[in-house]
Amino acid sequence: MNVIKRLQRLTGEEAQAAKKEAPTEQLSELRRRVETIMARRPERRGPLDAPSGSAVSVPPRRGILCGEEQSNAYGNFFLSQRHHDGSHNHGGRSIREFRKSDMKMAALLARSPQLAEFGIADGLFLDVETTGLSGGTGTIAFLIGLGWFDGEGFVTGQIFARDFSEERAALAYLQQISSEKRFLVTFNGKAFDVNILAARFVMNRLSDTLSAIPHLDLLHPCRRLLGHRLENCRLMTIEEAVVGLRRNGDIPGSEIPERYFNWLRFRDEGLLTDVFEHNRLDVISMAALTFHLTKVLGPDPMAVRAHHRDLQAAARFMIERRHMPEARRILRDLITAGNRSVRRDARRALSLLEKRTNHWQEAIALWRAMLQEDPDDFFALEELAKWYEHRCRDIERAVSLVGDAVIRQACKSESESKSFSHRLRRLTKKMKRPV
Amino acid sequence: MAKLTLKELLVRLEADRRFMENIQALKVIPAAPGRFSPFPDWVHPNLRGVLEKRGIQRLYSHQVEAIELVRKGRNVVLITPTASGKTLCYNLPVLQRIIEEPETCALYLFPTKALAQDQMHEVQGLIGEMKSDIGTFTYDGDTPDDARQAIRKRGRVVITNPDMLHAGILPHHTKWQRLFTNIRYVVIDELHTYRGVFGSHLTNVIRRLVRICRFYGRDPLFICCSATVANPKEHAERLLERSVELIEKSGAPKAARTFILYNPPIVNRELGIRQSALTPARNLAAELIENDIQTIVFTTSRLNVEVLTKYLKDRFRSGPPRDDHFVTGYRGGYLPNLRRRIESGLRNREVMGVVSTNALELGIDIGNLEACIIMGYPGSIASTWQQAGRAGRRMGHSLVMLIARSNPMDQFLAENPDYFFSRSPEHCRVNPDNLLILLHHIKSAAFELPFERGERFGGEDLNELLDYLEQKGVLHRSQDRWHWSAESYPADEVSLRSINPQNVVVVDTTERANHRVIAEVDWDSAFTTVHDEAIYMVESQQYHVDKLDLERNAAYVRKVDVDYYTDAMTYTNVRVIDSFGEKLLAGLIVEHGEVQVVRKVVGYKKIKFYTSENLGYGDVALPEKDMHTTSYWFTIPRDLLDRLPFTQAEIIDGLAGLAYGLYHLSAMVLMADTRDIDRCIGDKSGQWFVRHGKGGRFITASPSESPSDGQADTRIDAFDPTIFIFDAYPGGIGFSDLLFDQHEGLLKGVCRLVGSCPCRYGCPSCVGPTLDVGPKAKEVTLAILNSILDEDRLLPTNSKGST
Repeated sequence: MNVIKRLQRLTGEEAQAAKKEAPTEQLSELRRRVETIMARRPERRGPLDAPSGSAVSVPPRRGILCGEEQSNAYGNFFLSQRHHDGSHNHGGRSIREFRKSDMKMAALLARSPQLAEFGIADGLFLDVETTGLSGGTGTIAFLIGLGWFDGEGFVTGQIFARDFSEERAALAYLQQISSEKRFLVTFNGKAFDVNILAARFVMNRLSDTLSAIPHLDLLHPCRRLLGHRLENCRLMTIEEAVVGLRRNGDIPGSEIPERYFNWLRFRDEGLLTDVFEHNRLDVISMAALTFHLTKVLGPDPMAVRAHHRDLQAAARFMIERRHMPEARRILRDLITAGNRSVRRDARRALSLLEKRTNHWQEAIALWRAMLQEDPDDFFALEELAKWYEHRCRDIERAVSLVGDAVIRQACKSESESKSFSHRLRRLTKKMKRPV
Repeated sequence: MAKLTLKELLVRLEADRRFMENIQALKVIPAAPGRFSPFPDWVHPNLRGVLEKRGIQRLYSHQVEAIELVRKGRNVVLITPTASGKTLCYNLPVLQRIIEEPETCALYLFPTKALAQDQMHEVQGLIGEMKSDIGTFTYDGDTPDDARQAIRKRGRVVITNPDMLHAGILPHHTKWQRLFTNIRYVVIDELHTYRGVFGSHLTNVIRRLVRICRFYGRDPLFICCSATVANPKEHAERLLERSVELIEKSGAPKAARTFILYNPPIVNRELGIRQSALTPARNLAAELIENDIQTIVFTTSRLNVEVLTKYLKDRFRSGPPRDDHFVTGYRGGYLPNLRRRIESGLRNREVMGVVSTNALELGIDIGNLEACIIMGYPGSIASTWQQAGRAGRRMGHSLVMLIARSNPMDQFLAENPDYFFSRSPEHCRVNPDNLLILLHHIKSAAFELPFERGERFGGEDLNELLDYLEQKGVLHRSQDRWHWSAESYPADEVSLRSINPQNVVVVDTTERANHRVIAEVDWDSAFTTVHDEAIYMVESQQYHVDKLDLERNAAYVRKVDVDYYTDAMTYTNVRVIDSFGEKLLAGLIVEHGEVQVVRKVVGYKKIKFYTSENLGYGDVALPEKDMHTTSYWFTIPRDLLDRLPFTQAEIIDGLAGLAYGLYHLSAMVLMADTRDIDRCIGDKSGQWFVRHGKGGRFITASPSESPSDGQADTRIDAFDPTIFIFDAYPGGIGFSDLLFDQHEGLLKGVCRLVGSCPCRYGCPSCVGPTLDVGPKAKEVTLAILNSILDEDRLLPTNSKGST
């Protein structure tokens, strides 16, 4: 007996087999669903508002994806390349500004000193759309979104494998483009995009040109610098906070694999237009984000109207990575520019940095400045007292500092006053001891 | 009191009449000298030096045979006893090759994580002494994420299990590129554990592994070890689908060993109830340990481990103060640290007695003990010998005692010791082309690497299956290649070890605010064990099932204290669809083939503890389960039964008794769990079936008809009684053609089992409990068997079809 009949008997699906919908009806149904999503996008009204919702079978749409077929030694694929002028707006900013990313800072973010020698135009922005999120060799990157700066403007090149058989040619083209670039910028690419592509190169017996080049993955810096004020660190959340981009009717990432599988069956380009759009915006947003982050870390953070709290996070980030001069610069700028509370926190952070690096005079100056602004500043009083006691060995000065504070009831909390009374007792005892 | 040596103790036992009355067999297996061969010249001096430092001056003959064959590029399977230096047979060729070609990689597969750990330490020990740096790692569910990348980068010898290979390694083979481009050896130990469903899956995992290796241009050799079974070479070749050399003559010396088969005395002849195996196990273990004879006791359940450990601990509490682990339990569920401590305690004799489940049966290194008590037949002769192998020092004498329980398998062995001591009757069976199993793996394989036209995978028409999967939308064909085109991760959809990965959780709702999951039951047994109103027992606590919710896969229970348990009544209906082969033997038509099985749990009996009184019935409304599978069956001619001097109802009871014994012996020959097969008595036409209802057994027509108080007509003249033994897995696992082949031996086995059973009217050891099969069952079963096994009729009259 036929193997499929036997299988159907085992699974008990014999009975259901007859009930399948005709494929054209499925396509109409699909299209209805896609259009519901598209309709939420106001600027997209128009051609897509064409009569819909009827079960009448419609021919698959073709020719609405902009781009063209390309070919190389490995076969054909589809490339959608778009040039965005310097004046092109992405959220509240223009492409022209994104060019001005600070490469020194980019090098720090990527922990890759070479980057400082490159220009932003050497960078390749990359984001892939895949057939699944679980990874493994059965997941392919059917759309590889690339972006790079070109003169005043920005080019996006989206490499699309219209079928599995085009993957090899698509990857070969990726190899070619990436060999012209010197570093990679992604959002979570270390864990996802580059990993998937590495597997795809192996599967197609091509060499992996991406894993070896310097790689700036924006996800982790974003978490460090912006995470404190965002509800999550998804690219969409960040781009809205940073450049004010609001996407309308964006396709949820979770629906993308299914779109591709349906594309394979029906070859209707209408199923993919919003996937391409989603990917293109992701790529440009990475350029915007690179600009923003490097500016926050750089000498002129006000050019991107950086939040003071982001700058404090930036200073912490620099200290952790042992970039002390940059940390000092950021904190000093905050002291000059910030309001009273920002100033206080910045001085405090900077004084600890100076103390840690044995720059005592600078630290003392900061504590004094803090006391000038608020004579009851507990932190500054305590640090100064420690300084007198342990460094200067001037116990009397320490006693008078702490004693004064206790007498004028400078402490703002129970624990502060307890701490000071304790310190005072200890100091007086120490003073009485014969030297 | 002076301590006795084991020999002195044995002399005393043999003089003890009360003890000896229960001995079914006492066999002294004499010592045998070892057969040795020198190290082959090609063994690297460094490797040889390390082995010599360990006291291995020369090799056993089978070791040399194995490593020379591997050297020549042959696949091998080795069946030699426990502690005969099996691991060297693969470690030596692997390490040798790595010394010669440092890029070489090897993959080791063990059925459990504990065995993998143990082997990793073994190999790392050798490597350490060689002052070499060959990355050897286990890779399994316990491997921390941050270590995984290092293992992929550095591992030369990667030790894992089939489940991890299936779900964690093969679907990510590009990350293991280094391993796969350098792989030369695949080592599979405990090959006999891969049988039935697990083995059928394993063959497919091997097919996938070989396919991936081929992608990287490799074709590795397979080195396998197995316990002694009847068909080791055939089994290995079926699993690996390539020719394999068998090495079966062990060159290791054997110490003298006394093997005792002990059958506890009958305490209730009416019901055929024997003394619990716990009692003699406890007494003998205590006596041995008291005399400083290091002893291991194997039990068949975790509960028994705890009970017996407690008994023994109590016994030694009064004596001189001892280490807390002087006597200890050992089982899965103990934390790894504790287990390691017990293992080393056994090696250095701080632990003198250990009570274990089969967790200690497989190769974990605990040294060699002097005595081994096996409390209950572990289900296969292969396992029994592996457990027995735990006792036996190279020098001196050791003792093994197997204590039989009341079930048919144990009793059959107790009555037929020869069966046990002669060549193993146990067959490993797999059916890798079971369509459901095959299809799962075709999906996983397509995920790993697109299929190309003309490729082969399994024994069915691959192109048709690929087309089918394309229609289902999980594969997409593009230029004669089939690509995985779904979001899911197919390896997660199937478990290699269980029939149905779906489980039902048992939720204790006794405390309103604190619902807890207390157990998991597999989908199929849920219908019979946790149906509404059932009494479910966990560690002797009873729970009443309030509701079985099949949609949520949960059974809600609460604690109760009642004096009964429940036993589900299942209706089984078997219809023959296709016969693959038949033979006529002594008037019996014996066949095997494909059948449709419909099963339905229709009710349950409440049975009182101890007295086994029937306290009443209840109805259960659960959906029918419909399954196509393979079966072996035979039809007894009506006229033969007509000639017997019994009523029709008695004949039906006798058939039930015959089916009961046959079912248990079949499981034994197949090394299968009794859940892996099932039985049914019906009519070949699929019209009539024997049911067991409130009023006893009767014949009925429709499978869904409820038992109407025994009013259905018992018309034996309308039906040709047929006994079916079928695979409990959709599509079949390959058991039935073996049973078909063994038909005659099986019937004779049942005849011996029932004939030699000392019970009066039937008991759980032979034809089933009397209350279940009726008072005449034993007598009738024997009469039926005698008439169909009548020597004159046994001449085969006709046969056709495949075997």
